[in-house]
Amino acid sequence: MSMVDIDVSGDVFCSIVLETASTASYLKQGSSVTLVFKETEVSIGKNLTGLISLRNRFKATIKRIEKSDILTKVFLNYRDKEIVSIISTRSAQKLGLIIGDDVEWLVKTNEVSLLQEG
Amino acid sequence: MIKIRIKKEMHTPRGQEWLDIDLNIAKGEFVTVFGESGAGKTTLLRILAGLTQAQEGYIEIDGDVWFDSQKGINLPIQQRKIGFISQESSLFPHMTVRENLEYACSDKNALNSIEEWIITIGLKGLEAQRPDQISGGQKQRVALIRALIKQPKILLLDEPLSDLDIHARLNLQDEIIKVYQKTGITTILVSHDLSEVFRLSRKVFIIHRGKITKSGSPQEVFVNNDLSGKFKFTGEIIEIHKDGVLNILTLSIGNHVTKVVASDEEILGLTIGSKVIVASKAFNPLIFKA
Repeated sequence: MSMVDIDVSGDVFCSIVLETASTASYLKQGSSVTLVFKETEVSIGKNLTGLISLRNRFKATIKRIEKSDILTKVFLNYRDKEIVSIISTRSAQKLGLIIGDDVEWLVKTNEVSLLQEG
Repeated sequence: MIKIRIKKEMHTPRGQEWLDIDLNIAKGEFVTVFGESGAGKTTLLRILAGLTQAQEGYIEIDGDVWFDSQKGINLPIQQRKIGFISQESSLFPHMTVRENLEYACSDKNALNSIEEWIITIGLKGLEAQRPDQISGGQKQRVALIRALIKQPKILLLDEPLSDLDIHARLNLQDEIIKVYQKTGITTILVSHDLSEVFRLSRKVFIIHRGKITKSGSPQEVFVNNDLSGKFKFTGEIIEIHKDGVLNILTLSIGNHVTKVVASDEEILGLTIGSKVIVASKAFNPLIFKA
């Protein structure tokens, strides 16, 4: 198992993968990888205080919200990239999410896959 | 054991190419020959069946020589114990299902086995129908029984499911699995349908421009390893159902039908029948004792 730190335009993302440097050739310093995770694994926090175990937490702005009965899709602007989070409509209402809100998005390290480039 | 060493010239849109095959298939194995159209898959089956002759080579089935170009041996199709099923079954249109089957029987044993196969393959109640009164999938079942009552040594399946809709295809795949489990007959399936290969066969030969380029289990041959997800399968989309902001995909993976949730962005360009890789982090799956 490996804990991999990935530099994304200055922010450090973490991913835990089963591979090690000896089983996967791309696991070496300087390799380019694409980070892949499911929208349903992305959480949203607003005015977060206190300690939290999630290491992948980054600031973003809400640019669009799509609501349905059970789930809500929140489109975020993160360093001019689009990140999508799918959370329960109940949570979206509880947090009072609206377009333009500054929030943090979070994803657990064991939910982040690495896709080898090239 | 089936030993095949053959060479035959093929005329393809790319010009003349040689079908040049050297492979062994163990008795009782279920193998798939996979490749693009024009690669030589069907020609290989036709040579095995005796419908086409190779320019040179050798074919041996369980110690019996069927073809030996050097010794001038070439058993006629009637003496090769094969069951051959192609895309379109050629049933006699004026005969009922039962008459079609009885016509194929050469002895009493075969006649006696008809009833058992009709029940096993799920054709009960359709015996008095004529071919134009039954569905494409049912016709292929009749063709399957017709092949089996002759107790062949090998079953050759030349894309027998390709003209069927997805539900009929999955049903007939179940019947083929049943037949294989019941008889243990050596089966060679020609297919270009990935989920079919995964579902039916334990071994696959990739044929490209007349040559075998790769062989192994479907996992070994088809699953690429560029994604760090360890929980990874290849499947086919059977249904896409929009539910709120998400989509629920029904997939056929191996011998199972399963459901996966996907966003609109994830399924861009995918339709029913699309082949997909389903991957998850190795951390997610829950394990229970079966």
